[in-house]
Formats: sequence, C-alpha cells, structure tokens
Amino acid sequence: MAATKNKSLQQFDTDDPNRIQDIGWTFKEVWRRTRGTVVVSINLITFFILWELVVIYGDINPLFLPKASEMFAELWVGLTTRAPEGAVFSGSILDHFLHSFNNLMFGLAIACLIGIPGGLLMGGNKYIESILSPYVWALASLPRIALVPLFILFLGFTTKMQVTIIVISAVFPIMINSWAGVKTTEKSLLAAARVFGANRVQLYVKVVLPYTLPFIISGIQQGIGRGLIGVVIAELFGGSSGLGYLIQRSADTFNTAMTFAVLLLLIVMSLSLINFTRWLEAYVAPWRNVNHI
Amino acid sequence: MTKNDPIIVASDLTIAYELHRERKKLVALQDISLAVDPGEFVVLVGPSGCGKTSFINAISGLVPKASGSVTVRGSEVTGPGPDRAMVFQDYALLPWRTVESNVRMPFEFQDLGISEAEKNKRVKECLELVDLTGFEKSFPYELSGGMKQRVGIARALITNPDILLADEPFAAIDAMTREAMQAEMERIVMETGQTCVFITHSIDEAILLGDRVIVISYRPGKIKEVVNVNFPRPRMSNSAVKTSKEYAELRDHIWNLVKDEASQTNRGE
Ligand SMILES: Nc1ncnc2c1ncn2[C@@H]1O[C@H](COP(=O)(O)OP(=O)(O)O)[C@@H](O)[C@H]1O
Ligand SMILES: [Mg+2]
Repeated sequence: MAATKNKSLQQFDTDDPNRIQDIGWTFKEVWRRTRGTVVVSINLITFFILWELVVIYGDINPLFLPKASEMFAELWVGLTTRAPEGAVFSGSILDHFLHSFNNLMFGLAIACLIGIPGGLLMGGNKYIESILSPYVWALASLPRIALVPLFILFLGFTTKMQVTIIVISAVFPIMINSWAGVKTTEKSLLAAARVFGANRVQLYVKVVLPYTLPFIISGIQQGIGRGLIGVVIAELFGGSSGLGYLIQRSADTFNTAMTFAVLLLLIVMSLSLINFTRWLEAYVAPWRNVNHI
Repeated sequence: MTKNDPIIVASDLTIAYELHRERKKLVALQDISLAVDPGEFVVLVGPSGCGKTSFINAISGLVPKASGSVTVRGSEVTGPGPDRAMVFQDYALLPWRTVESNVRMPFEFQDLGISEAEKNKRVKECLELVDLTGFEKSFPYELSGGMKQRVGIARALITNPDILLADEPFAAIDAMTREAMQAEMERIVMETGQTCVFITHSIDEAILLGDRVIVISYRPGKIKEVVNVNFPRPRMSNSAVKTSKEYAELRDHIWNLVKDEASQTNRGE
C-alpha cells in the first residue's frame, strides 16, 4: 500500500532533520531555567535577614519570637544529634522527625491502599457507588479532628492511634479523587476503545485507569496536606514523640527557637512532598498542562 | 447471503436521546431506511445537529436504537465489532499514548491472528500513508488538529476493516493536505473494496468521494434525498470531473437541498 503513496503528500514532508534543534546552554537559557529558584532564594534570604534585624533592634521578647539565626542553630543541632541510647525523652529533632515522617508515610500508604481501590470501585460500579457514597460523604465532611478523642479512647496514646488518624485524614481526598477520575473519563475515549474491540476489563485497564492516574496523584497530594494535619494533631493530643509533641514540649519549656525550628521543618517537609507529587502529576500526564486552543 | 446483497441495512431506524432533567426524548433521527452495497461509498450531508453522527454511531453499535433496525451482513447490530472501524469527529486519541501506540491500539483489543512482525509492518505502512512518519514517538497533544485526525485515520485503517465509518475526518485538515487525503481515501477504498459511510460538511468532498450522497433533513433527521453520483473513478486525479457541467449541476442541486435545511436551522425550527 505504501509503495504507491500519493506524491502530492510529499510536499508536506515532515521529517526534516532540522525540526528538532538543540536548545544549548546559553546564558539566557540558564537564566530562564534558574530564575525561579534565584528569585525565591533572594526573597527568602531577605525575609530571614529582616526577621533577624527586627528581633535584634525591635526590642521583642525572645520568648515570643526568637532570632532567625537561633532558630536555624536549633534546627541544625536538632537534625545532627540523636538521643543517647536508652534516653526516656529525646530532644533531637531528627528522632521526632523520623517518627512523624514514618507515621505519615505508613498512614499515606494505608490510605492509598484503601482509597484508590475504593474510589475506582465506586466509579466503576453504580451499586457499590450508591451503597458506599453516603458513608464516604458523611465521613469526608466531618472535621476529622472531632474523631481524635474517640480514637484515643479506642487505641490509647499509641502509634497505632496516630497512624489511624493520618489514615482517616488522608483517605477521603484520595478516594474521592479516584472516584471522580473514573466518572469523568472522556466518553469519546471510551467510545473509541469500544469501537476497536475493547471488552469491559480492557476498557478499565487501558482507558479508565490511565485517565484516572493524574486524578489519583492529585488526590494523594491533597491527602499529604490532610495527613500532615493529622500527624500534628495526633501528636499534640497525646504521645511522647513526633514533631507535634516536640512543638508542644518546646513551647511548654519556653524554648521558642525549637518551636520555630520544628514549624519550619514542617513547612519544608510539606512543600517538598507536595511539589514532588506536582512534578509526578505533570510527568505522568503532560497533556494536562498544555494550553492548546 | 450472496456476495452482492447489501452489507449495511437500516430499516425504519429511529434514534432518540433522553433529555437531561426532563421526562422527554429528543428524536434525533426518524425512520431512516438505507441499504449500502459492499464496496459502496456513501456520503451523508446535512446541517449540523441533524443526526449524521447518530446514524454512523448506530452502525458502529455505540448508540442504541429507539426503534427499527440496523443490520450488518444480515445480523442485527448490538455493539461494536471488528468488521467496522471508525474515524471520530473529535479524534478520540488516547492522550497518554504515542502516535504509534494509538495506531496500534486495535491490535491490542482484537485477536486477528497475525504475527508481531506483520503488525509492526502494518503500523509503519499506515503511518506512512497518512504522512506521519517521524512522528511515531510524539504524543497527540504535540500535534496539530489535522495531524491528530490523520492518526485517527491510520488507526481506523490498521486492521483493514470491511466497513469504514468516518465522521467528518477531513474537517480539521488544511485545504491542500485535505485534497491529498481525499485522493488517498479514494485510492484506498478502490484498492481494498472497503465499504465506507462518510460524513462531511463539504459538498465538493461529498461529490468527489461518494457513489451516493444522502441529504439529511433537520429535526427530526430524515432522508431528504438520495443523489447518485456516477463519475468514473479515480475522480480526484481527473481534473475533467470538477470542471464538467454535470459536476456543477450536482453541486447546485445538493447545495440547494442543504441550504433549505440550513435556513430552517437558522429560523430555529
Ligand atoms: N448524547 C446525546 N444526548 C442528547 N442529545 C444528543 C446526544 N448526541 C446527540 N444529541 C442530539 O441529537 C441531535 C443529532 O446529533 P448528531 O448526531 O451529533 O448530529 P450531527 O452529527 O449531524 O451534527 C442533535 O440535536 C444533538 O443535540
Ligand atoms: Mg456530528
């Protein structure tokens, strides 16, 4: 068939080797790629210097606002030391960070294991959907903090309680996003797959799932935000480890430099995780970020 | 069934859609009766919204019928089948797949018993046919509208289906490429003996490609007139066709039929 290819098409020959050109590393290109980071860095450095100056010259009670340098010093020390073997309490930020981070990851993993299949099933089967959706909406609309006393009653001041709170915080955005992804799968894509012979399983695996993947990732992104709230709340309420607990204890002992150090660490952790999922979403679904008219 | 019996038969076909939030039905197509012979090229024209897409969706098995019947080779259409392929008006390419992978899709869903090497060869041929060689690894969002539609055409041709349903396949393609694609289409259909049901807004395209042009009226969609086109093939490469008196007459005739309908559209009937 190809041998008798229509000659008139040749004039639109599209595989000209010059079509794809190296961008190269000119100064302009380097600046274009790094200017965001540069601007953010200058902005942040200015912010912390101003903070430092305000505390030094502004006659502010260091109990309320420590110097930025003290906060960084506390953070550095806290992240580079560990509690000695057998210590009852740890003053090391790293120990508490690892506790919180591990709990968060564990909780998120469980939330994904429940939320993703749950959402996919609800999107894919209208009976499951109508049975489960009232409960999902009820629990999703309930402020999750309201459940904390109940979980403490059930599980005590344990890691299990903390993880349960993270799971219950993170599971609904993940579930609802996966569900919405399935429901909004473009009808024309399903039609095309059906016309070319896809059966129900193939429709689900080859069309609905890939279509839903970016939705799932943005669900996880929201889950991270909620999960972090869950982490801190669970640790503020009870327990003797974790960043939430450390905030509580450092504030109780008037160590505000430590409190601010932990807050900063929470911000950095949250932003890093959320930016990672943003990047992941853009990576798996580049077509969503194209502004074609 | 003998060889020359019609391959697609619609009898008193009615298609209706339920209206959102109303206990009413919109009749999109009413009492369509049409028989398409094997190897025939049938073109549907009519104002926007008259039910052309609904009709080929009924043949492809995507849309249920309200009453009447559609048969393909004598058996009632209840869903899509490997004997029918379709080019979609809105391309319907999977955005997470490359051009090549989109074109290969029908092979994944249909077991045609052909070897992997044969499949690769078909993919290559079809991409060459629609002039997309070099874009195998591109994603649909990186292509222009016309290029996307050419991917859709390659995907429909890949399995060599008996029946090709095409919903305004060349609408988004620029005039020069369109002419080349039309010639290509005519050649493919002549060569493979495929039966084609083709929708277009272009009356020239209808006359150049069609053995018969079906003019559909507006709301509810009914067959207004069936116009036979008897120019010898190939027509695309024959400049005498477009300049002939019969061509101009046919064009005027169909244009008047469609214009009547379109003006009713404007009056909001
Ligand atoms: N899924 C649908 N639900 C409700 N109405 C529809 C649907 N698809 C098409 N219609 C209606 O049916 C009529 C015919 O549509 P269509 O077959 O797409 O026409 P055409 O392809 O000729 O433009 C239109 O009035 C349209 O609004
Ligand atoms: Mg249409």
